[in-house]
Amino acid sequence: MSKNPSNLKNINRLIHEPTRLMIVTQLYVVESADFLFLQHQLQMTPGNLSSHLSKLEEAGYVEIVKEFIERKPHTALKLTKKGRAAFNKYRKNIKKVLEDLPSQPPYL
Amino acid sequence: MVIIRMNDKMSLREVEKRTYMSYHQDGLIDIFVGIYVLLFGSDILLSTVTEFSTWFVIPAVFPAIMVPIWISVKKRITMPRIGYVKFGSRGTNKLMAILLGLTIAGLGAFMVFSFASRSQVWALTLRNLIVPNGMIIIGISAAAISSLFAYTMGLKRLYVYGLVTLALFLTGHFITIPFAYFLLTIGLVIIINGFVLLIGFIRKYPLLQGDETNVKKSL
Repeated sequence: MSKNPSNLKNINRLIHEPTRLMIVTQLYVVESADFLFLQHQLQMTPGNLSSHLSKLEEAGYVEIVKEFIERKPHTALKLTKKGRAAFNKYRKNIKKVLEDLPSQPPYL
Repeated sequence: MVIIRMNDKMSLREVEKRTYMSYHQDGLIDIFVGIYVLLFGSDILLSTVTEFSTWFVIPAVFPAIMVPIWISVKKRITMPRIGYVKFGSRGTNKLMAILLGLTIAGLGAFMVFSFASRSQVWALTLRNLIVPNGMIIIGISAAAISSLFAYTMGLKRLYVYGLVTLALFLTGHFITIPFAYFLLTIGLVIIINGFVLLIGFIRKYPLLQGDETNVKKSL
């Protein structure tokens, strides 16, 4: 348990969910990626990925960018500024929570 | 696949490298680099036989002709199979910095060779140092460049290419074979590996039907 349990309250639960954390992390390291790339990269089913992306889009963390590649319409997914800021804050908070944990459990 | 383990230090650099690796698993970059090395070798071979050389054209061939073809082929083969990713300016800037550094190093090497061709004593000493050990110098330089790209892009097979090149040029230091043959061998090795990767990639990711390459309509 953290010395200061209130730190845990600062953890963004939307990002903390493992699958969404993978999606956000993947989008964080690139400028944009399409659905198929994310699906292959994260080895997720289309339904599962779609449902998690919808939640991230609702929160304003992911935006859908319509563009043309070789005159064909293409839809790319991008982490918004809000999404990047939320992820950076999440990293900071989770690091703090883990650092605050005692190196040995108190009952030992 | 991106692996994020909460008990490990979450490394964004690792995720970035895996993304690069995944995007270049098709072997296309190997085929194009291999063809380029082969072109270099063929040009040197041609110049020794016919005294006709296109060395001044060759450096421009890669950015002017091969890169656009590579991008076009990538769009036709890779994108429909594993999707599309646009890397951020950070990664591109890093690669551009390496290319710029290599260009400066290349110009520096060219100047050193130019100075070494003078008739002064110090130039003769420099020439006596460079010429007999040319194969070793080129081998080490090629291995270092290859390793630099391997580290930056996370493509481990580039380390192997670097080692193969080093081994070949070190062999060339002891065996007298025309320089062009070493380039042709390295080019062929890279091309063959590229095609092996490409065949494996096409088998692993068959072409999907319909509009599955795009984002789900439900989004």
